[in-house]
Amino acid sequence: MSVPLSQMWAVASYVLGQRLRGRRRYPLVLMLEPLFRCNLACAGCGKIQYPPQILRKHLSVEQCLAAVEECGAPMVSIPGGEPLMYPEIGRLVRELVLRRKYVYLCTNALLLGQKLAEGLFEPSRYLSFSVHMDGLREEHDEAVCRAGVWDDAVAGIREALRRGFRVTTNTTLFEGANPLRMREFFDAMMDLGVEGMMISPGYSYSKAPDQEHFLRRRRAHELFARMLANPSRRWKFNQSPLFLQFLMGKQDFECTPWGNPTYNMFGWQRPCYLLQEGYASSFAELMETTRWEQYGRRSGNEKCRDCMVHCGYEPTAVHHAFASWRGLRDTVVATVTGRL
Amino acid sequence: MPDETTLEGWAPEIGGGLTLAEVVERAFDYRGNVTVVRTDGAEVEGYLFNRAREVPAPFVQMYDRNGDGPLTILYAEIRAIRFTGKDMAAGNSYAAWLRARDAAKTTSGAPPAAGA
Ligand code: SF4
Ligand code: SF4
Repeated sequence: MSVPLSQMWAVASYVLGQRLRGRRRYPLVLMLEPLFRCNLACAGCGKIQYPPQILRKHLSVEQCLAAVEECGAPMVSIPGGEPLMYPEIGRLVRELVLRRKYVYLCTNALLLGQKLAEGLFEPSRYLSFSVHMDGLREEHDEAVCRAGVWDDAVAGIREALRRGFRVTTNTTLFEGANPLRMREFFDAMMDLGVEGMMISPGYSYSKAPDQEHFLRRRRAHELFARMLANPSRRWKFNQSPLFLQFLMGKQDFECTPWGNPTYNMFGWQRPCYLLQEGYASSFAELMETTRWEQYGRRSGNEKCRDCMVHCGYEPTAVHHAFASWRGLRDTVVATVTGRL
Repeated sequence: MPDETTLEGWAPEIGGGLTLAEVVERAFDYRGNVTVVRTDGAEVEGYLFNRAREVPAPFVQMYDRNGDGPLTILYAEIRAIRFTGKDMAAGNSYAAWLRARDAAKTTSGAPPAAGA
């Protein structure tokens, strides 16, 4: 685990506070999408599949801050689109840091060197660049459909680290990923000097018979179990060890989609970052009127059957760590020993 | 294949087996502009990003072609919806890209261009 102690403490006290207040559902990370524009066109990325007038639009900083205030989550993840294309990204990040929100700015890093040179950001323990890296050079460039992106991202990471910024990576894996190559990738990222890595299976949805759903989940567990078996002591993951155990098939969790609520120019997205089943006009409306029982693997919802993505299951893992002695013990053991 | 079917150009007749609510659902899922024809004959073209079905007065929400909005239109005020804009999702699924990549590799050894 690589999350700094101050951040761990902030999250732990927030979760315990929610539990003491008896709140059954509470947000942990706000997924704030100020725009959908991007300077890449990765295969299958639904975030950029909008007509031009939508891609030209973006939220104002004031709208973003109002959403942050309304939601109250201690962490804010800024995905996109590409947030470094947001004209007010510097001001937005400054305001969030002032509010002591832990910010993960998710970027493909193509513009990172340029924005750092422009002096848009200042190093802070509240700010981490979360760089999209889907594997080693060959795998990453293939995933983003453009040669040379891996090299640019590595240059951006180096520059951010040189300037004293926190840098993490985020990696999405689909079926067919090679566990041995991924282990090499983890080594390569640690060699680069990133603070920690985040991994998640990608989301895919297709109608299938029960048996096929079962097999897909089993294949995903096998992939992560092989990838994370006997993890090197050098590997640092910027995420809950229980979530990694869940990916390996060692924990059985249910989705908590309200843990990572999503806000963008359309409003508060129901029910999660991945599915777009409609929008609420306020966070309270999202929490109160979404039919949460219709989502998650046990709901029987076909769209949720194969899903194991971090935005649905990582908040569950964090909640679990504080909800039982067993959860706390498993978290402490994995954190201290590095064993998963 | 489902990811390659598109409703682009569709101008459904409401009634006769197809309800307005069903057409609204398709428009809500559609990744392109649609034209909403109001009962008074006025038309608005734009991106329909939301709909609320289970409220006393069901409505849709849109950003128009200039990105202005959101505009709210009651179901009761809609006569028809035409799928007039380009479908931005058509042919852009991950599965479609994998197929294009494999085909390109077999013929030239080069991967397809971004966004293919
Ligand atoms: S970099 Fe991210 S937002 Fe941009 S196209 Fe790729 S997956 Fe989509
Ligand atoms: S299971 Fe996945 S798709 Fe379903 S609500 Fe949870 S995060 Fe969303």
